[in-house]
Amino acid sequence: MDKGHLSVRRRLARYVAGAFAIALIAAFSSGLVAQFRESKPVELPNGPAKPGFDISRFSGAGNGWFETFYVKDTESLRDVLKAGRVAEDTRLLVAHTVGGRLAFVTDQMAYHHLAQGSAGGKDWLVSF
Amino acid sequence: MVSTIDGQMHHFNNVGLYDALFVMQDTETKTLWNHITGEALYGPLVGRTLGPVGNVLQMNVKQALVLDGDLRAAISDRAYFAGGRQFGTAPAIGSGRGPAPGRGGAPGGAAAGRGPGPGRGGAGPNPDAALSEMFVQTLGQEDTRRPRMDMGLGVWTGSTRRYYPMELIRQRGEALIDEIEGRKVLVYVDPDTFTPAAVFVNSATARLQNKEVRLDNGQVLQGGVLFLRGGRRVEVERPQQVFTRWYGFALTFPGADVFGQ
Repeated sequence: MDKGHLSVRRRLARYVAGAFAIALIAAFSSGLVAQFRESKPVELPNGPAKPGFDISRFSGAGNGWFETFYVKDTESLRDVLKAGRVAEDTRLLVAHTVGGRLAFVTDQMAYHHLAQGSAGGKDWLVSF
Repeated sequence: MVSTIDGQMHHFNNVGLYDALFVMQDTETKTLWNHITGEALYGPLVGRTLGPVGNVLQMNVKQALVLDGDLRAAISDRAYFAGGRQFGTAPAIGSGRGPAPGRGGAPGGAAAGRGPGPGRGGAGPNPDAALSEMFVQTLGQEDTRRPRMDMGLGVWTGSTRRYYPMELIRQRGEALIDEIEGRKVLVYVDPDTFTPAAVFVNSATARLQNKEVRLDNGQVLQGGVLFLRGGRRVEVERPQQVFTRWYGFALTFPGADVFGQ
């Protein structure tokens, strides 16, 4: 296989892998799950439930594994690129929030999953 | 989404799974929330939503700067790789094998692509990917029109909820025109990110050529940005969308249309 073809395959693999993160769904083996620490108990209210929601199917698996990203500061993406802290091919999530567009590094959001902040007096929440 | 409820900012965390999808909880009222639609699922705020829900689009830095040269970025202290170098200091959780914990197998994260899912062989989505039992036990009644782990673009706007299987988009040359509530919509696979996306257009046909989507009205979509025949840029409108597994979209939007079926 030539190097160019290999490179395309690697890029494809990387982007498709990232694509699954935005799918916001899970598809991993129990072996990988086992590497994580135990989930924290979830404090649940006493309902009510949205029609059709079955609380008996809720699982607290993963509670406490992730840390919401509270965004205090933002910076110019162009400056970040100039500083070499991202590359032109670095994968981003560009969110359209009530405070405007904002870019996140996909690899970081694959950990945080949630980001919150305020802009122009409006509070926003991004889910990934 | 908007995190303000009754004038007060609420704080959200992922606390578990339902329908094998992440569920958010606000720390103030302990209400559980759907993280795709922003609807309250269980708790005192049922009936409320965190809308409007904004799109979260995947692109690379180069594309993002073409989209918006003044784009701001939010970068946390979590480790990540860029240009072959590692940045950030906070370690990953789990095995510590990667810069992002999600890669080690976190639910919903990039692990989906690193585990049994796509990307492992570098040849695209793996149709044989499977959900672990931990997730399966939270599933509701599944819609069997597509395989559980089928990949596609889910679009919802107005009263339309429609799923475009990746397989079908590819069969149509990776660019197709559909109609949603009287408006033409281009559904395509971005040649740079290999992810599907949708954008409203004024065109009856679309053709992918040399990493550009060419429309029959002379407009060209390049890097997610639409240009007129003369090269002037056109602002675009996108329907709400998510690149997802079939089960996730179908359980979130029961009875959704499936393009081509």
